[in-house]
Amino acid sequence: MTGSATELERVATATGDEVLDEALHALDAAERRRRRLDVTLAVATPAALLVMWQAAADTHWIDPKIFTPPTTIARSAGHLIAAGTLQSDLAITLARLVVGFAVGAAAGIVVGILLGLSRPLRSAFSPLFTGLYAVPQIALLPLLLVIFGVGETAKVLTVVAVTFFVLEINVVRAVRGFDPRLVEAGHAYGARRLRLFRHVLLPGIMPAIFTGLRVSIALALVVITATEFVASTNGLGYLVWNSWQLFEPDYMYVGLITIALVGVVLTGIIVAAERLALPWLRRSRP
Amino acid sequence: MIVAHGISKAFVGRKAASVVALRNVDLCVDRGTFVSLIGPSGCGKSTLLRILGGLERPSSGTIDMAPGRGADATETVKTAFVFQDHSLFPWLTVLDNVAFGLRMAGVPKAVRRERARMWLARVGLAGFERHYPEELSGGMRQRLSLARAFVTDPDILLMDEPMGSLDAQTRLLVQEDLIRLWEETRKTVLLVTHSIDEALLLGDRVVVMTARPGQVKLDLRIELGRPRTMAITGERAFGELKAKIWEALRDEVERSLELT
Ligand SMILES: Nc1ncnc2c1ncn2[C@@H]1O[C@H](COP(=O)(O)OP(=O)(O)OP(=O)(O)O)[C@@H](O)[C@H]1O
Ligand SMILES: [Mg+2]
Repeated sequence: MTGSATELERVATATGDEVLDEALHALDAAERRRRRLDVTLAVATPAALLVMWQAAADTHWIDPKIFTPPTTIARSAGHLIAAGTLQSDLAITLARLVVGFAVGAAAGIVVGILLGLSRPLRSAFSPLFTGLYAVPQIALLPLLLVIFGVGETAKVLTVVAVTFFVLEINVVRAVRGFDPRLVEAGHAYGARRLRLFRHVLLPGIMPAIFTGLRVSIALALVVITATEFVASTNGLGYLVWNSWQLFEPDYMYVGLITIALVGVVLTGIIVAAERLALPWLRRSRP
Repeated sequence: MIVAHGISKAFVGRKAASVVALRNVDLCVDRGTFVSLIGPSGCGKSTLLRILGGLERPSSGTIDMAPGRGADATETVKTAFVFQDHSLFPWLTVLDNVAFGLRMAGVPKAVRRERARMWLARVGLAGFERHYPEELSGGMRQRLSLARAFVTDPDILLMDEPMGSLDAQTRLLVQEDLIRLWEETRKTVLLVTHSIDEALLLGDRVVVMTARPGQVKLDLRIELGRPRTMAITGERAFGELKAKIWEALRDEVERSLELT
C-alpha cells in the first residue's frame, strides 16, 4: 500500500513539473510575441505616417509647398549631399556640440564634486549657480557675442554653459546625498582620502553623472540650434533658419531631420556608454 | 586583544540637547574570545563598536588593542567591521566586494582574487562571484559581508547586529555559519546583538549594558561547550543563563523606554 502511495506521489510531482514547464514555455512564447509586436509597431507606425504624408501631398490634400513630401525631401537631401554642404554643416554643428559638451561636462563634474565636498565653496557658489541656471542659456548669447565677438567661442560657450550647470547641479546633489554608510564601509576597509574618492565616491555618483549627461546633451542640441539660427552662417541650425528665410521648406526638412538624427545618435552613444560603464545598474533594473 | 578604559562619548546636538551615549565604559576582551554585547536600544552599543573600530573618537578614555607593545602598536592592529545593513558596494561584483579590503591594503590582484574566492566558497557563495549585491537575497548579502570581513584576516572582528535584518530561519543558518567560521579561525570578536539567544549561542562572554548613558551592567562568562550547535539552546544551563541575562536586561529596557 505504502509503495503505491509514493508511486502515486512521484507521478503527481512529475506531472506537476511538466505543467510548470509548459506554463513557463507559454510565458516565454507570449513575451517573445509581445516583443515582436513592439518592434513591428515601432517601425510600422512612422512608415505608415510617411506613406500617408506622401499620398496626402501628392493628391494636394495638404499643401506640398509647405508639407514637402518625403520623396522630395530625399531628393533635396541628395542635392545638399552632392554639393557637400550638408556634410560640412553637420560637421561644424557636431564640432561645436562635442567640444562644448566635453568642456562643460568636465567642468561641471569637477566643480560639482568640489562644491559637494566643501561647505564654504558651496555656500559661496551654489546660490549663484542656481540663479544663473535659471537664466535660459540662450539668453546669454548676446552677452557672449559682445564679450567674445561673432567667432566660435561665443557659440561653443552657450553649449558649455548649459552642460556645465546641468552636470554641476546633478553632481552636487549626488555628492551631498551620498550614502554615509558606504563612506564608512570604505573607511573601515582602509580606503582613505584619495582612494576613498576614487573607489567609493566616484563609482557611487556615476549614475548621477550619466543622468546629467543624458539630460544635458538634449539641452545642448536645443541651445546650439538656436545659436546657429541667429548667430551663425553655417551649421544645421543655420540650414534650417536660412531655408525659412529663402522659403525652401524641403531644405528645412532636411536640416530638421538631420538635427533629430544627431540627437538620437548622441543620446544613443551616452546610453550605450552608461550600460557599459554601469553594469550593476543594468542588472538590478532589468 | 582589546583593553578599553573609561570610554565616554557625548554627542553635541546642533538643535537638541547633547546626548551622553557612553559613560565610563571599561571593557577587556582577551585574544581569541568571542564577546556578545547586548543592551537596550539607544544605549550606545553601536557607538562603542564604532569607537573601537576607529570610526568615531571617544570624548574621553583610552583604547589599547596591543597592550604592552607601545602606544603606536594599536594602529597596526587590523580590525574589520560587519555592518548591520551590510553596506556592500552596489557597483562592485560579489568577488570585488570581498576583495575590497585586500585591494586597499595593496594585495596583488591575483592573490586577493584567490583569497576572496576561497572565502566566498566558505560562506557558501561559490558561483556568485560575478553577481552584484542587489542580485542576492538578504541572507546571502549578510554572508557576503562576513566574507568581506574575514578575508582581510583581521585581528579583531567588530560586528554590529549582523543578523538584525534577517528573517528568523535565515538568521539561524547564518548563525551556524558564524559559529563554524569562528571556531575555525578563533578571532577576537565583539558582536552587538538584540537577541539573548544569539548572544549565548555565539559568545564566550555576554556583556549586558545599561540604558543610556551606557555602562557595563553585567559581564557573564558562558561555560557552554564547543563546538556549539543549535542543540544547546535546549539545554538547562542555556535556559538558566538566558533567565539571568533577561533579568539584568529587563530593568534597563524599561528604563530606556522611560528615557525617550
Ligand atoms: N552621530 C550622532 N549624533 C548624535 N547623536 C548620536 C549619534 N550617534 C548616536 N547618537 C546617540 O547616541 C545614543 C546611542 O546610539 P547608538 O547608535 O550607539 O545606540 P545603540 O545601542 O547601537 O542602539 P540600537 O540598539 O538601537 O542600534 C543614541 O541616543 C543616539 O541618539
Ligand atoms: Mg546600534
